[in-house]
Amino acid sequence: MSTTLFRTIQPNHFTLLTTALLRTRRTSRHISVRCQTSTTTQQSSSQQQQPRTSAPKNHGSNKLDEILKDYEAVIGIETHVQLSTSTKAFCSCPNSYGSHPNTSICPVCMGLPGALPVLSSKVVDFGVRLGLALNCSLSLKSKFDRKQYFYPDLPKGYQISQFDVPIASGGYVDVDIPLEFGGGHRRFGITRVHMEEDAGKLLHSDAGDYSQVDLNRAGVPLLEIVSEPDIRSGVEAAEYGSEMQRIVRYLGVSNGNMQEGSLRCDVNISIRPIGQAEFGTKVEIKNLNAFSAMSRAIDYEITRQALLYNQGQADQIVTETRLWDEGAQKTVTMRKKEGLADYRYFPEPDLPEVILTQEYVDSIRASLPELPEAKRRRYEAMGLGIQDVLFLANDVSVAEYFDEVIGKGADVKSAANWLMSDIAAYLKNEELSISDVKLTPQELAELIAAIKDETISGKIGKQILFELLAKGGTVQGMIKEKDLVQANN
Amino acid sequence: MATRALLAAVSACPRRRMGIKSSTCSSSLQFQRQESRIIARSFSSYTNSSLPDISRLAETARISLTPAEIEECEPKIRQVIDWFGQLQQVDVNCVEPAIRAEMEGGNLREDAPQTFENRDSIRASIPSFDETYLKVPKVLNKE
Repeated sequence: MSTTLFRTIQPNHFTLLTTALLRTRRTSRHISVRCQTSTTTQQSSSQQQQPRTSAPKNHGSNKLDEILKDYEAVIGIETHVQLSTSTKAFCSCPNSYGSHPNTSICPVCMGLPGALPVLSSKVVDFGVRLGLALNCSLSLKSKFDRKQYFYPDLPKGYQISQFDVPIASGGYVDVDIPLEFGGGHRRFGITRVHMEEDAGKLLHSDAGDYSQVDLNRAGVPLLEIVSEPDIRSGVEAAEYGSEMQRIVRYLGVSNGNMQEGSLRCDVNISIRPIGQAEFGTKVEIKNLNAFSAMSRAIDYEITRQALLYNQGQADQIVTETRLWDEGAQKTVTMRKKEGLADYRYFPEPDLPEVILTQEYVDSIRASLPELPEAKRRRYEAMGLGIQDVLFLANDVSVAEYFDEVIGKGADVKSAANWLMSDIAAYLKNEELSISDVKLTPQELAELIAAIKDETISGKIGKQILFELLAKGGTVQGMIKEKDLVQANN
Repeated sequence: MATRALLAAVSACPRRRMGIKSSTCSSSLQFQRQESRIIARSFSSYTNSSLPDISRLAETARISLTPAEIEECEPKIRQVIDWFGQLQQVDVNCVEPAIRAEMEGGNLREDAPQTFENRDSIRASIPSFDETYLKVPKVLNKE
């Protein structure tokens, strides 16, 4: 990213950590590549010797591993989070997804002459919340700026955003890479978080030379999160994205739905030969609507760029925006950037400073829930395996349920097992969320206790569980009703 | 993105100083201090000697100018820039940088939805409104 223009690459503990991790990862991958070129009999035994480096699931990753021996991918992600406030950012129009087009409008968000924006206090609250959750320093004084450009979905001809004094900056996020991709911890830097408004929705009709605009979304509040270019692979990027989703859902600032558009990620990616300090030419990838798509798009782009480097055509890589074509599974040129766009930023004259008091910030910090990272570390400390930890901490409702169950005294490992196997399977089959089940945490704890002290067998427990999930009721009640007490020998 | 580049262009100017006493700025926005020269904040991308490319400027503002009009505009724009340039003569070494002109912030609104009563007349006043959507020319690329 262009952050390099004004920041020298200072060795700090983030880059050292990631390079150290990269080095260990690289060596393990290097071993696996060498083994795979040996005969098949040797292959099966060598795979057994390396439980951590799992066999790649797709053919492409062998090629990718080869590439990553010579090149390093430098990836930064810009995430736009649509806030789940009741009103738009600068006017009181309702902020609700799916309303009839052009019904949530007023002179302010339509940009009609004379209308003036007024900032919602909720947007500031959410901004502070997210900034703190991402371990950022908050700017107690920040301001809004006008980002000016012309486009049919931008009623005012400018977007109210924050340019040089964002509400939060200089943070980081810790993630756990899933086991099937090698596991391990990563820390990624967060450059900044700022508040801005969304544009309307532009629909292109295939027929005709016209497009259609729906301004319901114009003025909806967004928080933009810009990461440091610390990410090094598609897998890391997907996990960063998932963690952003987890955090905004934990905080309740957004429903973080990539399909709905309330979480949008744009990837900036370049590659450079290993050892080179300068960044390569950066390419932006848009139109990613799932974390898996993000991962695949990055892998594709690394391969594409490396191929050009290897063919001596590195100058063919230009600064441009590419779209991810989900059907063709490749990135395609959208437009070449002819120089950088001139947004003619200047401070928004219609809005005063955003001033935060230390008391305000402290009160918000005190009201933050336990965040995913803290939960994961706490679950690990309880003795749960990393696979269990990642599952339980992924969804905040599941984690809350689990916490309640063990709060009633249930055995940690049993509770985890029930949630991850039978209960998870039930939720998936019935397409329910944990908040919908009739089985209360209290009763699950009872069930676990009943099995533990051998009042009923595990098998009976599973049977009761199914009924309890669907219809509720109590464990004791069900035991009595069905006369299930197991005979003690 | 472009925002970073512009930030870089502004920050590359070595004469800018951000006050860090109240620790409101993160470390990533600290700039070098030039001891030997008068420190002046330079917010303009243009120095006194250079001039914006008028035709480019007109294009970004979507104002069409004939070459004759561009000729005519140039000295006038130069005058405006020079006039603002006088501000750079002021010694602001001892003044804490402000991010906005007025003194008080605030003026926040509660997050309570209100439907605007006269949406019909808004829609009626749009020339190219076709029942549900605004009809606009097909534009595929931003800027």
